[in-house]
Amino acid sequence: MSRAKEPSARTAPRRARTWRDYRGYLYVLPALAVYLTFAVLPALHTAYLSLFEWDGVTLGSWVGLGNYREVFADPALRGSVVNALVLIVFFAFLPILAGLAMTGLLARHRRRGMGVYRLLFMLPQVVPLVAVGVTWRWLYGDDGLINETLGGIGLGGWARAWLGDFDWALVAVGLVGTWVLSGLCMMLFLSGVQKIDPQLYEAARLDGAGPVREFVSVTLPQLRGELAVALTVTTVAALASFDIVYVTTGGGPGEETTVPGLLVYRLAFSDGKVGLASALGVLLSLLILVIVYIVNRLSRPETPERSLRPGSAVRSRS
Amino acid sequence: MRRRTGKGVLREGARMGRRRTTTYAALLCALLLLTACSALTPGNAADPDRPRTVPSSTAVPRGEGDITLRLTFADAPAMVDALVAAFHKKHPRITIEPRYTQFADYVKSIKLTMASDTAPDLAQFAVGMDDIAARGDILDLAPYRDAYGWRKKFPAASLDQLTGSGRRASSGRRLYGVPAGLSMTGIYYNKALARKAGITRPPRTLAEFGRQLAAVKRAGMTPLGVGALDSGGLHLWAALVNNAMPPKAYRNWVKGTAGATIETPRTLAATRKLVEWSRKGYFNESANGTTQTDTTAQFARGESVFLINGNWAAGQLSEAMGKDAGFFLLPGERPGARAVSSGFSVSYAISSRTKHPQAAGAFLDFLGSRQAAKIVSDNGFLPPDESAVPVPEGVLGEVARAHRRVTADNGMNHFPDFTAPNMLDPLRAGVQKLIAGRTTPEAYLDSLQDVWQDRYGGGS
Repeated sequence: MSRAKEPSARTAPRRARTWRDYRGYLYVLPALAVYLTFAVLPALHTAYLSLFEWDGVTLGSWVGLGNYREVFADPALRGSVVNALVLIVFFAFLPILAGLAMTGLLARHRRRGMGVYRLLFMLPQVVPLVAVGVTWRWLYGDDGLINETLGGIGLGGWARAWLGDFDWALVAVGLVGTWVLSGLCMMLFLSGVQKIDPQLYEAARLDGAGPVREFVSVTLPQLRGELAVALTVTTVAALASFDIVYVTTGGGPGEETTVPGLLVYRLAFSDGKVGLASALGVLLSLLILVIVYIVNRLSRPETPERSLRPGSAVRSRS
Repeated sequence: MRRRTGKGVLREGARMGRRRTTTYAALLCALLLLTACSALTPGNAADPDRPRTVPSSTAVPRGEGDITLRLTFADAPAMVDALVAAFHKKHPRITIEPRYTQFADYVKSIKLTMASDTAPDLAQFAVGMDDIAARGDILDLAPYRDAYGWRKKFPAASLDQLTGSGRRASSGRRLYGVPAGLSMTGIYYNKALARKAGITRPPRTLAEFGRQLAAVKRAGMTPLGVGALDSGGLHLWAALVNNAMPPKAYRNWVKGTAGATIETPRTLAATRKLVEWSRKGYFNESANGTTQTDTTAQFARGESVFLINGNWAAGQLSEAMGKDAGFFLLPGERPGARAVSSGFSVSYAISSRTKHPQAAGAFLDFLGSRQAAKIVSDNGFLPPDESAVPVPEGVLGEVARAHRRVTADNGMNHFPDFTAPNMLDPLRAGVQKLIAGRTTPEAYLDSLQDVWQDRYGGGS
């Protein structure tokens, strides 16, 4: 669209827009309307509510930025953000590593039963997170599978109630996330690998590259885009995590596994502090936006010839 | 593709113009939104025209035809169905339609439900109901209390718990609900295992209970099952505090009376006792990671000798353990001390939007009848009028007898989380920290008092 406009814009930059210029928007109008109604407006409304002290029912009172000050002042609220950042390790880094390892093992070999592998690793994505949480609560339980296994291999001393242990609860919850998201990362990478030009692999092999070298030099760089997507999706999942924590630990023991998502829910629905919950939600969204922005900046391709954005290509040359 | 030419500047200008238009449009949108919003502060004030209290007459007006009342509730559907059916038999003109909501969702939605124009006529009482009362969404039942003589039909403590006081509901004389079934916490014990540890009878003092815990520990068994992942820990703490603190001081604290505090030397000693027991290894090893349901199942399997839980577990334990299950209240410091416990009731309030307050009042009065007591008891709750039903066998009987003692001593206290809607989490997390030795008793009590102060202090 922008290219069609270019010549006229050059000669008469301030020309009045015609119907033709806006016709394109008509096509996106239905989607835009839905997006505005169900995503943008509620978000703005939340931001608006964050300026009030409101219990959800009775008349609220204007407090300006007071709720934001409280978020920064309350150690429990700040601690929850730190917990969420720790969860990034388990929700983003570990699944991506696992996904890459899996891709390296599975990608270029066509064996029988590949579909079964994919199905197995994808399964955690299909199961509702609440069911996942309940299952893992049993696994982590006093006489759950994990403690039984530890006892069976002579590590009975390590057995503990994982979800009730102050040092291990967050790790335990994080590993549930790793389990859920590894399959997603693997699927993303596997589909990405299929787009890679086989010639690249052929060339690498002719140069005498082994499987490891091949993976590092060909597969990994070509998966840049998929990596960015995986990192974005999983980081958002970590920062916005709620269901797994809610079902497994409820934020305990103490506040060891309390995450912002859980607090937003608790503040708004049990504590009657809708304004404070909204403020926390707004800050959480901002944090997510910043991190996603950084991820996207870092993963942008450096080589201009592959760029699909003309504007950035021009700028990078000047 | 595009080449950078001399006209590039112009092109840049055009792009700037485009960008500016977008910015203006966005600004305009934001402005529109803000002006639209500033007119509406979220929420709405109470309607001054709605009645605040039930009418003085209890007689259901005649000639209204058949009356249908809607009841929203969260506990014991089987009991509610039976009560509703029995009431309908007695009052054929009045039909009650019960609507069940899961407890967790119920607590979260009840404020909005009661504030809506289509609010149900009757609603189960829940934490945070005093906010609803303060807004005038439920009726003050005081006139019916006197007209029906409810003081004689219901235990004083359970009516007290439903009586408004403190900052929110100004005077302490307003009644906002009537109980159907009562609940109470205490200690269950496995009689067979206890005998193995040389314990032949329930302890009569707290010190004796401490010695029994030690004896069980020496015998190589787990002394006390605590489901601290959810509310088991706070039940144990509340039981200790109930015995340490004068009931009046504790109730004042829960109800938010000015100047009340939980930071007293006695509560500190009680909290230290919990920490001491934890340090000595008297609790199940993974108390913090186990739910109440799970500790109850473990206890039934003989994996602990004692268990802190409420009367709601008695039916299950009686079935699983038969004669081996026993129950006692956590004893006080001296033998023969006042019998105290924590508990609440499944109770119901009347909406201020109901068109039939008399019919709803008739249902509440029915809850105090012998017929209702029988239904309540059959469903595992303690009936308000205990003389109406025979004392059951086994552990259920021990629970019922303990409850009579508490009622006779007027020793029934609120659960501590009734202090404020946001008190449950500090209690649960705080006791977990105490058990794990991650906080001091002083800091724990201080954190509770902070929440209290946030709600009742500060004069706002």
